[in-house]
Amino acid sequence: MATVVDSSNPKSNFPIQYRELNYLNCSQGWKSWFFTLDHKRIGIMYLIGVTSAFFMGGLFAMLLRTELLSPSRILMGADSYNQMFTLHGAIMTFLVIIPGVPAAVGNIILPVMLGAKDVAFPRMNLGSFYLWMFGAVFFLAAIVLGGLDTGWTFYTPYSITTSTAVITALFGVFILGFSSIFTGLNFIVTIHTMRPPGMTWFKMPLFLWALYATALIQILATPVLGITGLLLIVERAFHIGIFDPALGGDPVLFQHFFWFYSHPAVYVMILPAMGVVSEVIAVHSRKHIFGYRFIAYSSIAIAVFGFLVWGHHMFVSGQSKVVAVVFSAITFSVSIPSAIKVFNWLATMYKGSIHFTTAMCYGLSFIFIFTIGGLTGLFLATLATDVHLHDTYFVVAHFHYVMMGSSLVGLFAAVHHWWPKISGRMFNEFWGRIACLGVFMGFNLTFFPQFLLGTRGMPRRYYTYLPEFQNLHILSTMGAYLLGISSTLMVGTLIYSVYRGKKAPANPWGGASLEWMCSSPPPHNNFDHPPLAGDPYVMESVVYNEEIEGYVPAECQGAGTKSVTASGDKEV
Amino acid sequence: MNTAATTTTDEHADSHDHGHHDSRLAHHFDSHQQQFDTGKLGIWLFLVTEILFFSGLFGFYAVYRSLHPEVFLYASQFLDTVLGAANTVVLLFSSLTMAWGVRCAQLGQTRGLLVCLVITLACAAIFLGVKSFEYTEKAHHGLLWAGMYQSPEHHAEAAVPAAAGAEATAGHDAGDHAHASADDHSDESLFEKTKHTLSYMTTVLWAVIVLAGIAFAVFIKKPGKLTQATIAGCFLISAVGMVLGTYASIGYHHFGHAEKPTDQEILMAETVPAEYAAQKEKVPEPELAGTFFSVYFCMTGLHAIHIIGGMIAISWLIVRTAHGAFTTYYFGAVDFVGLYWHLVDLIWIYLFPLLYLIN
Repeated sequence: MATVVDSSNPKSNFPIQYRELNYLNCSQGWKSWFFTLDHKRIGIMYLIGVTSAFFMGGLFAMLLRTELLSPSRILMGADSYNQMFTLHGAIMTFLVIIPGVPAAVGNIILPVMLGAKDVAFPRMNLGSFYLWMFGAVFFLAAIVLGGLDTGWTFYTPYSITTSTAVITALFGVFILGFSSIFTGLNFIVTIHTMRPPGMTWFKMPLFLWALYATALIQILATPVLGITGLLLIVERAFHIGIFDPALGGDPVLFQHFFWFYSHPAVYVMILPAMGVVSEVIAVHSRKHIFGYRFIAYSSIAIAVFGFLVWGHHMFVSGQSKVVAVVFSAITFSVSIPSAIKVFNWLATMYKGSIHFTTAMCYGLSFIFIFTIGGLTGLFLATLATDVHLHDTYFVVAHFHYVMMGSSLVGLFAAVHHWWPKISGRMFNEFWGRIACLGVFMGFNLTFFPQFLLGTRGMPRRYYTYLPEFQNLHILSTMGAYLLGISSTLMVGTLIYSVYRGKKAPANPWGGASLEWMCSSPPPHNNFDHPPLAGDPYVMESVVYNEEIEGYVPAECQGAGTKSVTASGDKEV
Repeated sequence: MNTAATTTTDEHADSHDHGHHDSRLAHHFDSHQQQFDTGKLGIWLFLVTEILFFSGLFGFYAVYRSLHPEVFLYASQFLDTVLGAANTVVLLFSSLTMAWGVRCAQLGQTRGLLVCLVITLACAAIFLGVKSFEYTEKAHHGLLWAGMYQSPEHHAEAAVPAAAGAEATAGHDAGDHAHASADDHSDESLFEKTKHTLSYMTTVLWAVIVLAGIAFAVFIKKPGKLTQATIAGCFLISAVGMVLGTYASIGYHHFGHAEKPTDQEILMAETVPAEYAAQKEKVPEPELAGTFFSVYFCMTGLHAIHIIGGMIAISWLIVRTAHGAFTTYYFGAVDFVGLYWHLVDLIWIYLFPLLYLIN
């Protein structure tokens, strides 16, 4: 309870070190960043890395879409096209979406939300970041050493025979996998052992439940990807004959191994975004979250179901009919916990006092896009329909609605929601909302036409197409450009705020969870003593204070003091 | 840096801060109990990921054994059950000393802990020594993974054309056996050959022993060089253990088998494993027999990498123990490495019957 935030009056009588020192400026020099054990600084480094990878993957996407403006060659030949979509997929999946919310935002927010000083294993946390860096370097090396044209799924037997840099890329995947495992392990242990007094399991913010469910998947599924990648490396290097039919191997076994990880990995991408939306919707609707326990349990349910549905990627790969029916049925059942979440978010907004802040706009975009993405998943889970839609643009549109439109928009929501906490600055709401509108419009313009293309038979991963598809392809490409421009505008707005933004109060949106109880940005150790945690969704516990342009605990309002502590203590 | 968060209301900051003066308690924990519980949960979760990491290989095993049961039946006879069993005993014993070491750490018996850790490290090295002999012997006979596999039937053919020729299956043409130059060395015994192929490794190991011994002798006499001395000591123990394991295996292979082999056995022993040569009724070689050795090398290889990882961790414990880092209330690291070591042991307990005891 000792953290005093003097947001009211910059010219207060406090000595300067009490007012100004925070995790961003408490030490200086590159070593204080590169060797830091502070979870917030590590999270910032992740955020920078993820953003760079996002723009790189996005650049490949722009090139792809440009090429698809016309059925004939515009920028690149068929081989380069194969490499482009592979790199776009691999970078976006392994370097952006998987670490996006958990490793970057989660790292910064999770310990603060728990009122802890750091994650359980700070050294391992830094290690995870460096593993991520090495993984990224291996990916870059793969681009230089002959590219990669297998698709991000590395399907055998083509990945055994192609002459591109499969081994380098696989080492990258292997290393990134361990980065993800260690982050997940850290989060689970932190949530188990470092909760503050008063925070029982069912008083945790839902973002923590989502991160917990995500971490479960990370530690249980990712090792299988690790060994699969390793076996494929060994197969390519030594010809052990595990996936190579020429030596008695089974290429479909690779698909099983791969999807045993990669389907749960889809939930590694979406679950944390769902957690973000649970926070954002409640805080910006100024209302207690509706159906707290249902949302919490549904996160765990999604994580559990996620392990039992990998076969739905293989309906046409030659698995037995019984197995296909079982996988189809379980896949349908995943929609139950997902729908529970959506309905609870809608019910939370009902009669709420909705503030259309940028974060909320992204949250609403998430709900819209995720609903479409989720429902089209049911088309693909239906066995007969899947035979028609398999490997068409319908699949591409579906997973972009879920992975890009939901996961990344969730990440954008998270970044805007917690940006005042992370950077200590307020970004420009107007430009933030314009960027959000652009992302929403651009996204739907890009991918909705692809549903139509898919149902009409446009196969995915094709460099060229029949002339009747051209109109829809042009629409899609225009949308992609809009999406690219808008995301650049979004990042620009945020970066601008770091230099020119208004100083953020401790609690700009009126959240009731613990991260809003410490100053913006938090001090190096977050909290000197574990704060007492209450219900994280009682929005009435904070009231708006016009003087500091932020929220303060209700009991401090009107006391007549100019200095207000966000942690609930009045300054004496 | 803590001053950033400190306030004028410092009367609240009382008893909690004492933890910062204890170098054994990390700054973000409130108590030793919390620190220990955190580490314990962490290591258990890590072990879960390790099991899942190996599960891919066990899946590989299960799929191929169900697809090609005859391959497993045929090829497992080339693994030496006695060496496998000996390694099992060595690892089980090392688990015992590890557990004993954890107990010593809990009781604050530094010397006992040191002895237990040293024995555990030595056992791990012996295991690797035996394993390296087995690998060398397999490689020598061409019993490698599918892409490099050379059928033992060819050797048998080359050595005893009359005996084995009739059983050779039709699919094997003469172009396959790059290894069939057995006749050139037919006057060398198996022991000579094995020694020859092992000589490189042995030389390296002896060099390590000598260097580590010198380093140990130099460092131990200088005050303040405890870390270097213990590291050198760990190298010494590991190298001696590996040489011991390797030579014990060679000795067993040379002297442990039948005292008076038949002429045919002697002839065949030069090119095919002795057990195989001694068999009167041979199972015909199935297609894709190399698959078994793919499984064998992948599984035992990954396990051996884990053994090496464990040896590094145990060496780190030895260094810290020598510095007196562990006390009755701070022994988490020993406990956690111990749990890891038991898991590595447990995986071998599964690998041994799955690979060696198929017949």
